[in-house]
Amino acid sequence: MALINIATHEIHCKIVYYGIGYCGKTTNLQHVHRSIHPSARGEMLSIATETERTLFFDFLPLDLGTVHGFRTRFHLYTVPGQILYERTRLAVLNGADGIVFVVDSQAEKFEENIQSIAELDANMRRIGKDLMTFPLVMQWNKRDMPNALPVPVLERYLNRMRVPSFEAVASDGRGVFASLRAISKNVMAQL
Amino acid sequence: MEQLTNLIISDRELTAISNVLMKLMNDTNATSSMLLDKSGQVVALQGNGIRRDATTLGALLAGVFSSSREVAKLLNEKDFRNIFQQGVQENIYTTMVEEQWLLVIIFDKLTHIGLVKVLSKKASDELGRILERVRSDTTRTKSSVLNLQFRSSVEDTIDLLFRD
Repeated sequence: MALINIATHEIHCKIVYYGIGYCGKTTNLQHVHRSIHPSARGEMLSIATETERTLFFDFLPLDLGTVHGFRTRFHLYTVPGQILYERTRLAVLNGADGIVFVVDSQAEKFEENIQSIAELDANMRRIGKDLMTFPLVMQWNKRDMPNALPVPVLERYLNRMRVPSFEAVASDGRGVFASLRAISKNVMAQL
Repeated sequence: MEQLTNLIISDRELTAISNVLMKLMNDTNATSSMLLDKSGQVVALQGNGIRRDATTLGALLAGVFSSSREVAKLLNEKDFRNIFQQGVQENIYTTMVEEQWLLVIIFDKLTHIGLVKVLSKKASDELGRILERVRSDTTRTKSSVLNLQFRSSVEDTIDLLFRD
């Protein structure tokens, strides 16, 4: 839930990157961290295992500066993608204002992606939210892989909510900011 | 329960929150105290030691609390309302305020945990009353802050900052 502090003139929003293991959630945050001017971001925090897989979450605070007298801040989080960590994903989702659902476009990941969006839908209901009306964008990641499924197929089976979607290759930054812009505007529009 | 989309905290309520935090800090002789939203955002902060790392601390402590809530469910427990983290020098006591906020007290070995527990319960009750007022004021205040001008400026800033 967004927090609007009139006394300190601050607005805080929480955006969560959701999706299966190795789909590129952390890579999205790393690209944002690398590309944004240091004055507009804090340090990126990762709680990862020894093999660098996300154990709890990654966290990157962004500061848009002062807009009409209000200092606007977005806090970006990723969830751990591995199936095992469903409860942890639910914990990170708590209080989210918007979600970027990152999809690994490769054909062999299709079923896992479908399970993941169904799980997200169920988790949102658990915290009293409806995914159909919640700020959400889809990111079709790994478009550079030879076995990437065609976008219309992904749209048809994974984007039943008909929310904005973006093709991406997060490892070289393509589509990362387009997704972030879309979700940020969506979140602000729903405040 | 359907969550509110946002919470708007006025000058008056922030002062009330800061007074509660300050009193708790003084009465327990703690080094810092803060109020977090369950999403990890810092609502208010008293004490200087943690100011620089407050944002990260907020995200981590709310994460720990959220995770412990899932642990509770696995044990068929509704939730764990308090968490005590004990270090050699510093300790952290976190307690829930009405399912929405987390009250955090950071204190050293000169302060007894029993005192922190009792006084943070009192402070948490008081913060709960403030939260009630914040909730009922939020809808009323929203339109005056988030006007059309603000929304369009924010969109421009997003375009400017989040570009390839």
